Amino acid sequence: MKTFTFLLLLFCLTSAAQAQSMFRGNAAHTGEYPGVAPREFHRVKWKFPTGARVMGSPVIQDKIIYFGSDDGNVYAVDAESGRQIWKTATRGPVPCTPAIDHGMVYVGSYDGKFYALDAQSGAVKWKFATEGERRFEAKGLHGWQPKTQTFADAFDVFLSSPAVMEGAVYFGSGDGNLYSLDANSGDLRWKFKTGDVVHASPAIANGVAFVGSWDSYFYAVDALSGKEKWRYHAGEDQLVHNQVGFQSSPAVVDGVVYTGCRDAQLYAFDAATGKEKWKFDNALSWVITSPAVAEGKVYFGTSDSSLYHVVEAGNGKPILKKEDKAYLFSSPAVTNDVVFIGVLNGTLEARDRNSGELLWEFQTEKSKQNADWVLTAERRFNVPLLFFDSWREAPLVSADREFAIGAIFSSPLVANGVVYFGSTDGFLYALE
Amino acid sequence: MRVAFILFLASTLVSRADDNAAGRWEGTVQIPSRELVLIVDLAAGSDGSGGWQGSITIPGLGIKGAPLTDIAVKSDDVVFSIKSALADQRAGPAKFNAHFVGNGKLAGNFEQAGNSAPFALEKIGPSQVEPPPRNTAIAKEIEGEWKGGYELFGYPRKVTIKLQNGGAEGASAEFVIVGRKENKLPVDHVVQEGEFITIDSHETGLSFEGRARNGEIQGTILQGPIEVPVTLRRSN
Repeated sequence: MKTFTFLLLLFCLTSAAQAQSMFRGNAAHTGEYPGVAPREFHRVKWKFPTGARVMGSPVIQDKIIYFGSDDGNVYAVDAESGRQIWKTATRGPVPCTPAIDHGMVYVGSYDGKFYALDAQSGAVKWKFATEGERRFEAKGLHGWQPKTQTFADAFDVFLSSPAVMEGAVYFGSGDGNLYSLDANSGDLRWKFKTGDVVHASPAIANGVAFVGSWDSYFYAVDALSGKEKWRYHAGEDQLVHNQVGFQSSPAVVDGVVYTGCRDAQLYAFDAATGKEKWKFDNALSWVITSPAVAEGKVYFGTSDSSLYHVVEAGNGKPILKKEDKAYLFSSPAVTNDVVFIGVLNGTLEARDRNSGELLWEFQTEKSKQNADWVLTAERRFNVPLLFFDSWREAPLVSADREFAIGAIFSSPLVANGVVYFGSTDGFLYALE
Repeated sequence: MRVAFILFLASTLVSRADDNAAGRWEGTVQIPSRELVLIVDLAAGSDGSGGWQGSITIPGLGIKGAPLTDIAVKSDDVVFSIKSALADQRAGPAKFNAHFVGNGKLAGNFEQAGNSAPFALEKIGPSQVEPPPRNTAIAKEIEGEWKGGYELFGYPRKVTIKLQNGGAEGASAEFVIVGRKENKLPVDHVVQEGEFITIDSHETGLSFEGRARNGEIQGTILQGPIEVPVTLRRSN
């Protein structure tokens, strides 16, 4: 009996680890992390320094943590000790989440290349050149001035994180394409052209790749052929291009696709037809977080209104809403009884899964230092000091200052009772 | 006699503090990782009420001649707030609490959004308080209530502007925009120049500019780079 229990436990742990080897845990992006999670904060187990911001999320396979940094490196770090196992340099920032499959690490870089690395050594197995990375851009973006000037979007902070399924790797690109490559050789299987930047991560379910683009459309594409199955037209914003585009990555559960959008909606589509099942309006506040879906509930956060929501998966009816102190770009990680989410004020939050109440929080040192008084004493963004000038480079400088306070864009990974996430302070943290 | 002497002495001290406080002050406040230059002008009010007026310039934050409020000069202490710039929704206006430290110098704490940092100022000359923008009178025919509507980000909004003359202080305006909720905008500037009328709410960054002709005001709601046309008509 003891042996059976041990084997069952081992199977569960192995399954849990296997299920956390790509962005949002799996190719369907459910954002659910099985196993125990700390309801209390005990200590920083370790923190691993890199040379720049860590915007993407860590993944785990066989007790090794893999993640990218804006210093251009992809890292493999021992999950227990925090010691570096290897690092591999790309020629650009890596603000996305790697995917691990069959001993390979798949990841994109701002250098416009997509990499396959050996998971043991970090050696480059192959790389694929896209048509080039870029951020979303528009004239007079977000009300920045002069309004006839084209600005790159400082809030387009992530690259598309790859999903791997049945020998194929899928990812979006700033060149507007959704790509499918042979996972073993890196050969192009197909590419699907959208009208603008694709920095959301595709979800793969039942032979279909689902992803939204900054062209305001959400697409379902046959994963084998790359042919479009359906598309959905979300909101547009010709005035300041603020309320447009999919930055959130979809989750697919029980034939329903859930995704946030910058048009301030959280959408639920029928995965087969693309028909809108329901939408949840967030009153002009972006939904950048990728929703987590577990046991009939959808968990997500908003940016400007800084709200943490749980709604019914079946009909979008609100279950609970909690006010946060700053923008939520990080996606919630749902465990057995705790939900973890990063906040751009440099705080990681642990919330009770049922009540939404705050159990504990961890604040980065950079956030405590509060350089330039980016934060109020209550840790909200100090808007009058931050965004007093909308002309020329001022909004970009303000965004840089805002991000530099140890902000947590990274979506937490929870494995074996430890919470792993990155911060703009350049560290990857392991908390227990 | 002793009481009278003490009262006399106290009044002397007060007037000395008053004399000391008036002037142009320049210095810095050190917030984490950043030093901000401050130029503060303080002067006794011209209405003889014993009140104070003042303005502040902070070049690093785009603030020029912003009016000061709640100015109090008492003994060795000088306190004042910035009327609207840098105000935090929860913590209220940005405040300066200072005291004289001798040799024409003030030192104290600057509080903004619940944060606090030390500042120091030195008197560099006579006061140059920036006068607030003056409202003009408006033509009789545009006094009264005007209504219109526009759409922004897919949401309809209703605008009501009520204009009235107020004697020597010029015209005043009530400026209300109703979208999902009702927003009564604090108006701090109303100007009519010929057919053109401008209404500013600097605190919210919203303005209305319009031209009164043929019984209506054709104009624009402005917020930063956002310009939305709106036509106002007399409310019934």
